Amino acid sequence: MTAAQAAVSPRETAAPPDERQVLRRSMAFKGLAHLTLLGQRSKGAAFAAVEIVALASLPLIVRKVTELVTLGSPMPEIPVRFRPNSLFMLIDGITVLAALGVFVLLYAVSVASARRIAREMTVLGSRESSVRRSPFADLANRAFPLVGLAPTFLLIMFFVVVPLVFSALVAFTNYSSPSNIPPGATIDWVGFENFQRLFGGSAAGTSALARVFGWTIVWALLATGTCYFGGMVMAVVMQNSSLRITPFFRAVFILPYAIPGVVSLLVWRNLLNGAFGTVNRTLEAMHLISDPIPWLSDPWLAKFVVVAINLWCGFPYFMLLVTGTMTSISQDIVEAAKIDGANSFQIFRRIQAPIILYQTMPLIIMSFAANINNFGAIFFLSGGDPSVSDSVTTGAGGTDIMVSWIYKLTVDLQQYQNASVLAIMIFLIIAPFAIFNFRRTKSFKEGEL
Amino acid sequence: MSAHIDPASAPDRAGSAVAGRTPELPWLVRAVNTSVLVLFLCLVALAVLWPVVHMVAAAFTPGQSISNMPVVPFTEGLTTEHFVHVFTQTQYPRWFLNTFLIAVMTTAGTVLFASMGAYVLSRFTLPFKQSFLMSLLILNVFPSFVGMVAIYVVLLRIGGLDQLWGLVLVYLAGNLPYTTWMVKSYLDNIPRSLDEAARLDGASSFRIYRSIILPVARPILVFLTITSFTLPWMDFIFPKMVLRSPEKQTIALGLMSFVSDKHNFFTNFAAGALVVAIPFIIFFVLTQKMLVSSLAGSAVKE
Repeated sequence: MTAAQAAVSPRETAAPPDERQVLRRSMAFKGLAHLTLLGQRSKGAAFAAVEIVALASLPLIVRKVTELVTLGSPMPEIPVRFRPNSLFMLIDGITVLAALGVFVLLYAVSVASARRIAREMTVLGSRESSVRRSPFADLANRAFPLVGLAPTFLLIMFFVVVPLVFSALVAFTNYSSPSNIPPGATIDWVGFENFQRLFGGSAAGTSALARVFGWTIVWALLATGTCYFGGMVMAVVMQNSSLRITPFFRAVFILPYAIPGVVSLLVWRNLLNGAFGTVNRTLEAMHLISDPIPWLSDPWLAKFVVVAINLWCGFPYFMLLVTGTMTSISQDIVEAAKIDGANSFQIFRRIQAPIILYQTMPLIIMSFAANINNFGAIFFLSGGDPSVSDSVTTGAGGTDIMVSWIYKLTVDLQQYQNASVLAIMIFLIIAPFAIFNFRRTKSFKEGEL
Repeated sequence: MSAHIDPASAPDRAGSAVAGRTPELPWLVRAVNTSVLVLFLCLVALAVLWPVVHMVAAAFTPGQSISNMPVVPFTEGLTTEHFVHVFTQTQYPRWFLNTFLIAVMTTAGTVLFASMGAYVLSRFTLPFKQSFLMSLLILNVFPSFVGMVAIYVVLLRIGGLDQLWGLVLVYLAGNLPYTTWMVKSYLDNIPRSLDEAARLDGASSFRIYRSIILPVARPILVFLTITSFTLPWMDFIFPKMVLRSPEKQTIALGLMSFVSDKHNFFTNFAAGALVVAIPFIIFFVLTQKMLVSSLAGSAVKE
């Protein structure tokens, strides 16, 4: 824009480049159009460097993708540490494919950038507009979308997407203990064998799956419902109470939310211990019971206990939420209802409750989805125990939900293939809720995306 | 507490119905109502406080396991030996420092990357933007440990195993989908005229981000700072997987080791847990009002 910048542009008055030529060259080799036609040396060189690196590693890419398809062949005759490691092949293959995806995306960006610059030059008749700036200014301005989104994109790509694709693919392999654990042995693709076995093959596996799946849904409904209802009752009671010590109660009720969840769950686990826990000893001292109650070792009682303790931990969140929503309801409506002769229960039932419910609905749905995945509430309190009839073979205890079962299958039993089938099932349950919530959002409805 | 009733309302009870307002209840009914209310609140408060009091008591009571603890708290002597033990005989200070470092790095990264990404997603037109936003939401509902085998191998490849920064990368990647989404929704509600005016004045995108977007997004970024700072303190699965050496452990791993299946040092656990929990509790009680408005805000906005 300045005179100095204009001076370094020798072809300032030259005819603008032909757009189709720009398109052809930018598609032929990344950065070529920037270098030859658009006079953008640094940007073009950067793009070209990426393409050169990609081309140079082409043999590597081909090898990694081939390995992803074959997963290596067993070589029992050579020492373990030289055998092909199917696990690394699987993950490297996915990583390389992800990197390839990033490359294609960058390619698209470079073509789009070349076209945009060419069009600008055509329209403005000169390269002064935005082109002739220092590369650093460009980095802070035009390239900012790329630079700003890159860390997020790359981190999510390699630490979230790659692992999730991996665990989805494992469902179609036989990656499991004892006979298919690398590096000693290889993993092989087995198609839908795991799904067939779990959904209707082995009796123990199928009945455990049905039991855990059913309990997961029941758990998520009960956990969300009790916490929401409990929080709402407390919020309404506190809101309508004119007692002077209400703030004191409010501070007390917020405690479970403030105490880190793991701490309170581990404390409860110890207090509820059947043999020497404080709960049973207190009840015995009060002569209310003569034999210890098996809080966490009876399958049905344990289910009840995990829901109850989850209520203890979870109601403050909804209490805060409902309180916040209630204070945002316009007082005019409430006053109008009072003048019409409504009592406070009617006001709550007909006015406040519907508004609260409508406004907190997305968070209820989020909470339901979060409870399906509420690993901590189960793992730290009951550990998924007590054992039931099929626990020895399947590893799933009486209070295990899908995620805690996945954890056990992965960490304790090394049944990775079964864990992956469960992960895919969780995805199928939860994804619709996420999409539903997304479609409700303002930005989606206004179609600005 | 039944005494706390507006004295003016009692004689008023005959006249109020005439005025078309809600009829005032008889004095006796109101007294009973108040008593029931107080009884209810006290019962709930008892249920909430009971385990908390037992935990605090255990931290100060001599003995080791939960079976030594008295039924009535604070009745078997007071001692601070558990705190001394935890701070001198275990690596508790080291765990505390590690967790603090992880929390600080995670928070800084989350706030920086989420705000930059959100600004880009909110203000620029990009190819595949809608699919990207949708996948952020879907990724968010997935428990990140289902991919832990692959995360382990990726960290192994880049030398991030048994390193605090390796764990930070895992947390960042886990945080970013939701936080980016949240900040983006917040920025969508802020008029574009602010940054468009700056752009007309010739400000670069980075400058707009730094001097306009960051200041206006402050409330949501403060909320993000709080939530992402609290997360690493009590996570268990990833530290267990990533951090191996004893001097690299975090608070949650250390506390868990006190009450494992093999032994039960409940009093040490309670002392250690209390030291972490107290700052949290003070903090939450202080920021209660802000949390309420943030929570309600995220509900109303959709």
